[in-house]
Amino acid sequence: MGSVVSLVRTRVSEEKIKNSIAEALDLINFRPTNPVSCVSIKVNLCYYWNAATGQTTDPRIVAGIVDNLRERYGRDIDIRVVEADASAMRTRHAFLMLGYEKLAKEKNVELFNLSKDDVDEKRVHVNGREIVFKIPRSLLKSDLFINVPKLKIWRPTKITCALKNIFGCIASSRKIAYHQFLDEAIVGINKILHPNLTIVDGLVALGRFPVQLGLIMASTDPFSIDWVASQIMGYNPSKIRFLRIAMKEKLGNPRGITTCGENPSMFKEDFPKANLSSSKMLMDIQIRLLRLYATLTRDVIPPWLEET
Amino acid sequence: MTNVGMIGLGKMGRFHMMNCLQIDDIDVVAAADPSEKALIKGKSAGVNDLYVDYHDLLNHSSKIDAVIISLPNFLHFESIQLALEAGLNVFVEKPMANTVEECREIVKLVEKSGRKLMVGHCMRFIDAIEKMKTMKDKGHIGDLEVVTLEMLLNGPFGLGFVPTPVPEWWFDPKKSGGGVLIDMGYHLIDLFRFFIGGDCKIEFCCLDHKFYLPMEDGAIVILRSCDSSAKGIINTGWFQKSVFPGFNFRAILHGNAGYLSSEDLVPRNVYVHAIKEGTKNLLRKAIGKKIRTLSYSYYYTQYYKELQHFFDCVKHDSNLSVSATDGLKTIELIEEAYKTDSRREQ
Repeated sequence: MGSVVSLVRTRVSEEKIKNSIAEALDLINFRPTNPVSCVSIKVNLCYYWNAATGQTTDPRIVAGIVDNLRERYGRDIDIRVVEADASAMRTRHAFLMLGYEKLAKEKNVELFNLSKDDVDEKRVHVNGREIVFKIPRSLLKSDLFINVPKLKIWRPTKITCALKNIFGCIASSRKIAYHQFLDEAIVGINKILHPNLTIVDGLVALGRFPVQLGLIMASTDPFSIDWVASQIMGYNPSKIRFLRIAMKEKLGNPRGITTCGENPSMFKEDFPKANLSSSKMLMDIQIRLLRLYATLTRDVIPPWLEET
Repeated sequence: MTNVGMIGLGKMGRFHMMNCLQIDDIDVVAAADPSEKALIKGKSAGVNDLYVDYHDLLNHSSKIDAVIISLPNFLHFESIQLALEAGLNVFVEKPMANTVEECREIVKLVEKSGRKLMVGHCMRFIDAIEKMKTMKDKGHIGDLEVVTLEMLLNGPFGLGFVPTPVPEWWFDPKKSGGGVLIDMGYHLIDLFRFFIGGDCKIEFCCLDHKFYLPMEDGAIVILRSCDSSAKGIINTGWFQKSVFPGFNFRAILHGNAGYLSSEDLVPRNVYVHAIKEGTKNLLRKAIGKKIRTLSYSYYYTQYYKELQHFFDCVKHDSNLSVSATDGLKTIELIEEAYKTDSRREQ
């Protein structure tokens, strides 16, 4: 039997978001079999950009998840919102600047920087390449690991959603070191870390520009989420390289994916599709021309462009 | 030949160094930075005397005529003081220092030393701003009544092509001196002073904290000229996601006979401008003429032009268009704006 992905349209009010999350979970019949006392919620705080930009997980979605968890598993469960430092982003600043410290006080949850955790070094083979990851130990101990990605486009991989958000769990901040084999690295980390549940924050999605999509998606299978998400964002999922590698590595299978709730095409119509291959090509041409020009004329290139 | 020492080789320091190397009769002979990586970049640009500690550079400054200080804000005061005591001319990135007291002390030190000190009020050197000032001074818009100045960018939180963390001192208002007002608002307040050509005072200030930081990330300020009826409306913020080459800045001068907008004077398409200016420079190079540094980038030329002005004034012992007093007056206004906002909050 294939995976189920639920899609719910929501409106931006705390009560509505909470109810929409409950509906999305009911649609996939989410019922963890283990007792739940410790939950980790992995958000996407890639940089110091507010949720309205479509780049980072909206704290209101996390608030809705927390309320649902407490209703289902009791008020005493430990809930941690987790994120790791990135090449340019420091988690402690992002928690403050993006409203997570406020959320933590209001909802009595812990904020945890995975880059400060004890780590286990794990090796995996993907597509013939050995990749080493530093995995935060505490993530492996959670009773319930919830992945809360954004729905957005991203030049290096075309789309970024469920599988890519798990890449953000790597403890080391210099994640840019993995960018030369990013597709393999995304698949590799997902061979080690398996979230029990993925809830996509599509309140504001990011295409050519941010758009209030009002979408919440849920599934226990991150691969299926990415398959459906890429269709919503206007891409053929079988042409997304990391999804192809994921299939090859038996991380997921598009056959038998079913959606329930709203029709994905409703959201696809509203999503501002971007032509990333042409924008990447244009950017590469600009940088090459600039370098050639500077070599010929000995003109100055500002350091923030020079370092590309 | 003017021999220059670079104090600080972060991104801004390196940019200044590369610009210095384009200016005739300027030789960058020394540089100081605690980062080994930065010093390697200095070495590869041909700088021979490299120091980890800038105090060592100043202790070996016998062959240096001027220093360019591009350190974090909280280190400006001490480094300016030591450079002036060493008898050097100083170009310092804005702000001149973090407090009014420190700025007053610097003004006294400059007078006592007889050396030149210029603060990096670079936006005065944007072509469009220079044109607007000239046209306004010639009376093209009549009497100046209202100046609106806007700059909304990520500021220090801007993400470069290669992601690097924001320096930690930016998160500490004791070290940065404040938030967006001392960062980008500083330039806008200076531009208002530049356009009215005199002193002004703060009428209103409203600061915002969208990012929950201990310093402001948004500011609306209203200024009033002390000598005329001109008022300035300043709108600045760090909260807007900015993507290169986008530059959300505009200045509008409203007079009783007309108006001038920077948007009518800057290139409509930065890519077309870059190709046009780049081609001109290639032709200049081909016929052995000097290129116009950074002209392809439009906005970045201001950094080259401010240094060119500084070294011209050092060489010919002429008056700087941006003095230590300008640095002091801008910080006085910023401090007054902070007080006005806290009075309003009470």
